[in-house]
Order: sequence, then structure tokens, then C-alpha cells
Amino acid sequence: MNVNTREPVYLQVVRHFKEQIAIGKFVAGQEIPSRRELAASLNINPNTAQKAYKEMEEQGLIHTERNFPSQITTNETVLQAVRQELILAAVDSFVDAIRPINVPVDELLRVVKEKYSEEIREGEEE
Amino acid sequence: MMRYLKLVNFEINRFSKIYLSLLLITLVSQFAGVIIVTNSLLNDARKIMSEEKLSEAAYITNYGGIDFTHIANTLLFQGPIALSAVALIFYIFLIWYRDWFGKNTFIYRLLMLPTSRLSIYLSKATAIFLMVLGLIAWQIIILPMENALFDSRVPEAFLNMEMSSAGIIKFNPVLNLIIPTTFTQFLLSYGIGLMVMAILFTAIMFERSFRIKGIILGLVYCGIAAALFLTPVFAMASDVFYFYPGELVGTLIALGIIVTGISIWLGSWLLKNRVTV
Amino acid sequence: MIEVKKISKNYGRKKILDGVSFTANKGEVTCLIGINGVGKTTTLKAIMGLTPYKGEILIDDQKMTKDSYEKITFIPDAPTMLPQMTVKQAMVFMEDFYTSWNTERANQLMGFFKLKEETPISELSKGNTAKLNLMLGLSLDVDYVLMDEPFSGIDMFSREQIADVFASHLIEDRGVIITTHEIGDIEHLIDKVILLDNGTVLKEFNTEEMREEEGKSVVDVMREVYQS
Repeated sequence: MNVNTREPVYLQVVRHFKEQIAIGKFVAGQEIPSRRELAASLNINPNTAQKAYKEMEEQGLIHTERNFPSQITTNETVLQAVRQELILAAVDSFVDAIRPINVPVDELLRVVKEKYSEEIREGEEE
Repeated sequence: MMRYLKLVNFEINRFSKIYLSLLLITLVSQFAGVIIVTNSLLNDARKIMSEEKLSEAAYITNYGGIDFTHIANTLLFQGPIALSAVALIFYIFLIWYRDWFGKNTFIYRLLMLPTSRLSIYLSKATAIFLMVLGLIAWQIIILPMENALFDSRVPEAFLNMEMSSAGIIKFNPVLNLIIPTTFTQFLLSYGIGLMVMAILFTAIMFERSFRIKGIILGLVYCGIAAALFLTPVFAMASDVFYFYPGELVGTLIALGIIVTGISIWLGSWLLKNRVTV
Repeated sequence: MIEVKKISKNYGRKKILDGVSFTANKGEVTCLIGINGVGKTTTLKAIMGLTPYKGEILIDDQKMTKDSYEKITFIPDAPTMLPQMTVKQAMVFMEDFYTSWNTERANQLMGFFKLKEETPISELSKGNTAKLNLMLGLSLDVDYVLMDEPFSGIDMFSREQIADVFASHLIEDRGVIITTHEIGDIEHLIDKVILLDNGTVLKEFNTEEMREEEGKSVVDVMREVYQS
């Protein structure tokens, strides 16, 4: 995780988790690292890890039962929402970037399609 | 209390290399002194005897024999005593300043120990005092051996007398000063020694607390302490007051205890409240 | 909590600290930043009772006593053990004098920093000296750790290793105050910032709140404060 120093670090950790969930690195019901392990692996302050877990708890991404390690939620609705949220966030920033160039939608979609397929093909070849 | 004793042990260990060197230098130099000086005295005697064609008896009648006082007055014998004294006086300053200066600022560690600053102050004082006593003890141990060696090397005819250790000490002003023969003398010699050390420690604390101004304060403090201690002597010298010898010693001891007490209190107070690392 | 209340200090006529107040919480990393001047180190020394000052400093509502040294420790940026000691002897010294010495943690830190017991202290590089200081300080079971410029003048790899300490359980639940003049390596690791200049506190803020509310990094705030 590359830390952006202008955005709350705990929110970046939450987003990092969401990405892991979206790409299937974390699956429903999976145990997640303790805040101590998380802090060490992401090179962040243990307090920040704590705060990130609290936020994820509030968002329903993880849940903790007394004296057990925290787990990724098994609530499918929440997990689907995470995927949606990430897709929307990425598209939002893409749209923000492309808007000033004023490209017609059809052309844009064609270019996106070409580029995106190419990227995926290259990714598979590697 | 345990930490105080550990600190004393620690302070002594830190000086142990130099200290052991002093003990060794004293041993080697004084034994060498016995041998070299004895040989040279005997050679001189034989030379004079052959030049003037004297018999042993005639030589001794004219020139006298030799005894241990001839040894004890030489540089080889007294030099290491002076060296040790200078080293320890120097160490009164070094025991503090070495912690502040140099690349390793040990004073941080020392002042952050979970022990009172008074313990730190006293541990340094105790270390020096014990090292002084150790040197004296060393002298008391090796003196009879040197004496025995001397007696064994001098032909009986040339020997004025076989002296006892007590006799040697009594007839030598330096030994007489460092090895007291009476309890009162012990109190005076070592009491004054302790007091001077406490006053110097306190002066050092003034300097460490107030730097340049502290040097002046330290010197002023030394002056006041000395004046206070010597009041009865001044009083007698200027005929203001007359003490019987017993009274004078008693008054000096009482004043010495007061001055030492004030110095320790003030020094450790400065160390606790005013010193900057 | 460490409460520094209106402390002032002069060296001769020069004002080093002029009414400095701030608090540092247990379980948080508080960073004293100052671009110039010596106020940072002096503040830490004042907290530790290593220099006299005017004002008041409370540690968990109490004034500093000799027993506080089992609760709070200071890691200066100079060697604090005798050069003739080995690393092992320095550890034995600490164990001898502090009941809060934690041998298990000391051994962990020895491994973490890759220090060797038999190395004489006089032969340690600047980076390894800093690591030794950290090892000795962090091996005490204290509630508060004060570090003076832990990153200054040492190589990049040592800096990274030391920064890792801040992301580890080694400082977990402790209150940490560190001084620095360059925030770079650790900006994302600290909870609170005190900006000092000319002996006064210019600004005190929580880093995450600053990011959340104003979208500013510590460096952004420093730029604003020091360049205005």
C-alpha cells in the first residue's frame, strides 16, 4: 500500500481492504490479521490500524466476536456493494480526467474497450 | 541501597585499570627503591672504605650505618605515593567530568537511573574514599615486606637498627601523614580529606549548574567553607579567643562535620534540581 | 498523559523555551517538529528532569520523581553507555538498575536490529549506536518513550529499520514523543504534531484529523506555518 499523506491513513487502509475483497484476496468469513500484524505489514502506526478496523466494523465489512480474531463479513450484500463502490470510484475519477477533452461517448467507449482488452491480454501473457 | 552499592561497585570498576596500575607502580617502584638504594649505599660505603682504608667498624663510627629511613626518603619510595595522591585528586574532578564530556555522554544514563541523585553523588564520593583507603592499606601491607627485604640485604654490621613498621611510619613525615597512628589523627587526616572532597564536589556541581558563573560561585563556596572550618584557628591566631588543644580539635571536628554535611546537601541538591545535562 | 504547562527556559539571555504547552497521550506518537533552534531537545530534557525550567510538567498527573524513570525513558541521539562496554555489558547494566527491564523484549530487539552482544560500543557506527540506544530504551517496560532525533545523521537502511519500530508492537500502547527536523520518513506514522519555533508552539494538531478535515499533509502544514 502506498500511503498518500494528504488523505487519512485509516481510510486508505479501509480502501486497501476493499480492494483485497474485490479481487478475491479476502473472501467471506476469512480471518484478517491482528491490528499489530496489519500495522507491521502495511508499515503504519498500530493506532491507525486500530482506527481502520473500527471504521470497517462500522461499515459492516468485518465483524469480531469476543476473544476471536476479526473476520471478513459473510453478508453478500455488503461484499457486492464493495465491488460496486470500487468500480464507481474508479470510473468517477476516470470521467473526471477525460471530461475536459470532450470526447464523444461512442469513440470513448471504443477506445476504452480496445485498451482494456489489450491490457487484459497482456496481463494474461505475462 | 542496593542501587547505591551497585553504583559504588560500578564507579570503582571504571577506574580499576588505572587504580591497579597505581598499586603496581607503587609495588615495583618501592621494591626497586629498596634494592637500588641499598646497593648504592653499600657500594658508596665500600668505596669510601677502600679509598680511606677503613675497617667496617671504623667506617660506621665515622659515617654511621644505614637504616630504612634512608630508603623511605627517596624518590623511588615517595614518588608513587605522590603520584597516587595526585591521580586521586585529579580523579575527584574526572569522576564527574568524564560523564559529561567525550563522545559518550554517560551522564544521561546516570541521571536517568531510578535512584536518588544523592545516591549518585555519594556513590562517587564513596568510590574515591574507598580507593584512598585501599592505597593506604596497600602501603601498610607492602611496607613490612620492603622492610624485611631491606634487613635481609644489608650486612648486620652496616645496619643501624632493625626498624619496626610503626617506627618507619613515625620517622617519615609523608608516611606519618597518610597512615595515622592515633584515632584523633585519623579523624583529622581523613575527616579533612572527606570534607575537602565534598567541598570540591559541590564546587563542581556549581560549575555544572551555572557554567561560567558557576565557576565563580564554586570558588566563593570553597572560600566560605574553608573560612568556616578554620574560624577557630583564625580566632586563636589573632588572639581573639584561646582554645585548649582538646577543645580546638573538638571544635574543628564539629565544624568539619557541619561543613561536610552542608556540602553534601548542597551538592546533591544542585545535582537534583539545577544541573543541566 | 504527559502535560507540559507553560514551560520556559533561558540559556544566558537567550530564550530557548518561552511558555511552551502541549500534551502527549499514552498510546500515541507525538512529534515535536522545529526547523531551527534547540527547543525540541531542551523540552525532552525538561520532561526527563535533566535540566531546570520554569513552569510545570506532569506525567500521569504526577511530578517527576526518581521512580518515574521506571515509567518514562529518554533515548538521546548520542551514545549513553561507556565506550569500553560491550553491547552485552550495556544490557547487563540496564538489567541491574531497572526493575522494568524486559529481557525477552531486549532479545527481540537485538534480533530486529541485528546487533551483536560482543561488539564493543566504541566500534558501533552512528546508525548502530542509534539502534543500540533504541534497543536499550524500548526494552524497558515503560509507559512513555522520548526519542531525540532518531533519524538524524544515519544511513537510509537504518532509518527504514527505525521507522519500522513505529509500525510495530514495540511502541504499542506506549506514549511516544519524538523530535525531528525532517518529517519525511515517518509522516504517516505519527498521531500528533507540535510545531515549535523560537521557543513557542506555533501549531498543535492531530495528523489524521488534519488530513480528514483539510486534506493537508504534515509537510503542507509546515510549509504554511513556517513560511508565513
